Amino acid sequence: MKQLIALEVNGDMHEIAVEADATLLSVLRDNLGLIGTKRGCDSGGCGCCTVHIDGKAMYSCMMYALSAQGRKITTIEGLGSAEKLDPVQDAFVKEGAVQCGYCTCGMIMTAKQLLHDNPHPVEEAIRHGIAGNLCRCTGYHKIVEAIKTAAGN
Amino acid sequence: MTNLNVVGKSVLRQDAYEKVVGGKGFPVNISLPGMLHGKMLRSPYPHARILSIDTSRAEKLPGVKAVMTPKDVPQIIFNPIFFMPADSMAIHRDMLILSDTVRFAGQPVAAVAATTVAIAEQALSLIDVEYEELPAVFDPEDAMKEGAPEIHAGVKNNIRATPSFGAGDVEQGFKEADYVFEGTYETQRVHTCYMEPRVCVSDTDSSGHVTIYSSIAHLFGLRERLAYALGLPVSKVTAIQAPYTGGSFGSKLDLAYIEALSALLSAKTKKPVRLEHTRYEDFICNARHPMKVYLKTGVKKDGTITARYASTLCDTSAYSAHGPEVIMVHAYFGLMLGYRAPHTKWEGTVVYTNNMPGGAFRGYGAPQAAFAVESQIDEICEKLGFDPIEFRLKNTPRQGDPHPFNPEWKLGGYALDQCLTKGAERMGWSNRAKAGSASGTKKRGIGMAAHPIWVSGCVGFPDIYEHSGAIIRLNVDGTAYLSSATMDIGSGQNTTLCQIAAEELGLKFESVRMAPGNTDNLPFDAPTHASRVTYSSGNAVKVAAADAKKNLLEVAAIVMEANAADLEVRDGMITVKGAPAKAMSVADVVKRAESPFMVVGAQGPTPTTLKEKGTIMGISSVAPPANASPAVAEFVEVEVDTETGQVKVLRAVYAHDLGRVVNPAAAQGQVEGGLQQGIGYALMEQMLFDPETGACLTSDFLDYKMPTAVEMPSKIECIFIESNEPTGPYGAKSLSEACLIVPAPAIANAIYNAIGVRFHSLPITPEKILAALGKL
Repeated sequence: MKQLIALEVNGDMHEIAVEADATLLSVLRDNLGLIGTKRGCDSGGCGCCTVHIDGKAMYSCMMYALSAQGRKITTIEGLGSAEKLDPVQDAFVKEGAVQCGYCTCGMIMTAKQLLHDNPHPVEEAIRHGIAGNLCRCTGYHKIVEAIKTAAGN
Repeated sequence: MTNLNVVGKSVLRQDAYEKVVGGKGFPVNISLPGMLHGKMLRSPYPHARILSIDTSRAEKLPGVKAVMTPKDVPQIIFNPIFFMPADSMAIHRDMLILSDTVRFAGQPVAAVAATTVAIAEQALSLIDVEYEELPAVFDPEDAMKEGAPEIHAGVKNNIRATPSFGAGDVEQGFKEADYVFEGTYETQRVHTCYMEPRVCVSDTDSSGHVTIYSSIAHLFGLRERLAYALGLPVSKVTAIQAPYTGGSFGSKLDLAYIEALSALLSAKTKKPVRLEHTRYEDFICNARHPMKVYLKTGVKKDGTITARYASTLCDTSAYSAHGPEVIMVHAYFGLMLGYRAPHTKWEGTVVYTNNMPGGAFRGYGAPQAAFAVESQIDEICEKLGFDPIEFRLKNTPRQGDPHPFNPEWKLGGYALDQCLTKGAERMGWSNRAKAGSASGTKKRGIGMAAHPIWVSGCVGFPDIYEHSGAIIRLNVDGTAYLSSATMDIGSGQNTTLCQIAAEELGLKFESVRMAPGNTDNLPFDAPTHASRVTYSSGNAVKVAAADAKKNLLEVAAIVMEANAADLEVRDGMITVKGAPAKAMSVADVVKRAESPFMVVGAQGPTPTTLKEKGTIMGISSVAPPANASPAVAEFVEVEVDTETGQVKVLRAVYAHDLGRVVNPAAAQGQVEGGLQQGIGYALMEQMLFDPETGACLTSDFLDYKMPTAVEMPSKIECIFIESNEPTGPYGAKSLSEACLIVPAPAIANAIYNAIGVRFHSLPITPEKILAALGKL
């Protein structure tokens, strides 16, 4: 039995009919076409689906869409555009932190919150801060460098 | 080769801008109008015969459009691996798309297409399957015993293959040795853990022509193998190239059940059908083969190797797939050819079990071998008092030596010796302490391992595809499109191939774009595997670009009233050599060639001639002339916590001979990623299974642990040695696999240096370390 809900995503309001067990991830991707948020594991293990809920980085596969009502949701599409990249996005490009790129959007959303909470993190804080996001291509080295660059370190 | 403009520069990846804002191009995003969603029902039993399948309840569920069981699919026996022809005599065919015999827990037995994923999943629960359970066997040694369950009819003792080879007289070689060392080295089953799930959408038209979008790593392999399994001619299948995919590391080099089933479900429903793996399905679709290697080496007092004997037991699992091939690459390139030995012998055994299928994984059998070879060299050096660098230098092939695989070839560029010496110097190898001499509870140690890759370009291997092709077209705005069927699985090869094209054409890097295509309009290219793309596809791109440039200069010569041989191109400008004032842009020449019969310029309309008309392009389809061989030496420093058993890799130094670095930043990225997979292999990753049911217990990232940013060292140093391979594009060889082959033995050797304990099986977990220290 579907329910009609309203979600605020990247500043836009959307009215969507969803099943009670639909995850926020599936609604973002399948109902709203926000494909920057990736499904990697559907079990809170990889971080590819990371979005911001009221400014806090969260796994969208671990949250029901119903629970996201009344909260401000930001996806990678709400961060920056190709014409005007967010500084974290820009640093990921310039530092070579993108390889296959499947983890990238989730990683950037996590990095964004990390830098919000701690604008000048030491390397260890960066490494612990992104430990909930897996990458299999880069060995994280250039991702850490990109976050340092975005922080102006 | 000093005058390069684009090759050798760390240009930014073209696809990175797209990927940081969302990455539309991933296959997982493909959606077609009217698309249905497929799901597979999988067997809970590791070995069973299907007595009956009743799909009537599922078919009645609203939204279900098709249900497939073994009787609905072609019963064509195939082997799924892409890099050999489907009908090759060299591979064993033993799989069906859906079979009435189940040979591993999780094998698909039926499939559904429905209007939504949820309905498809619900329909699976309404399919009634009656199984007759059969006895199962999971240990390859048990599988070979008399009375073990028969997994494939007629395959005695479940032994699929017993390959062997050798040179000289191995018994004589051991007689000539002053010392003989032997040991057994075991490696575990690990998964590639690509981040983008395997996914595909098939769209079959009314004539039965299949169009498929998929996350695979070999476009033409998908076309050929899908056509074979469906019983179609290859011309009835079109595989569409994705601009990029979310990782493969070898795993996407074979036909998956989803691809065959989506095509069949699409044919039945006349709608596009999409199937996407869950992470559990990704984990059980393929993995690195576990191997048990016995290695015996004869050594003279001066450190010269006289003889090597090895045997390998490989669990190929429920089906042959890669097993009989991976063991050959393992033996030739991993075990036996890295160091000179006049007398050698190797014997392999490939065994069926009821485990999940084995697959390809970066290194393809070589990591299992390097763990044995490089660990044993450390044991030899420790026992006989040799420096491990000196020992390797004494026994490694050198530039100009006959190629170990084919003595007709010489090792054109080959600098493993420099990798050893330069890496040792950077690491401070001469300051290494004696094994086990560290004090305190946290003990540090330094270790190293080396390895060549012999398969960068697989020319000369029976039945392995190697040729590559490329098309270059010049645009009226002075840019060029490069098209190649090679799949960029994340390594950035589209960028490096564009660099090679730009260099050859005389254009700026930004002026060349990779334009995706499909199997209808691209020349064949071999898979993205075997550290081959920069070398082999790079060669093809260079040839196509040279062809396009020749055509460009012929037109320019007419327009500029000069000899083509006197013209040169740089940064998009064509000039007459020695007379730089006489210049014309590439854009203007292409405009002239593409223009109608008149060109209107400042001087008014100018007629063009037929001779200068037409699209300026270049095309190639070529195989590389040799197997150029990259090589690597890796040095690591570890810290072993003797209280907890935890091992932390503190620093890694890689010295790579890769011929020429096309893109230094991309090359470093490859190495850093290889180290992550290598640390996982050495210390933490292992797929585990229920010993009774064969069910995978590590089928998500909560249970299967791979290194996070916290486990990785902050110091990863890359030394690139440019040996300038004469057969490679601008001297380039390749890179991808070597950096993952060496970490496990390097780390094992460093752990030995730290605590004086040798481990012969991976992964080296805290449990094993504490047990070895007598603390468990």
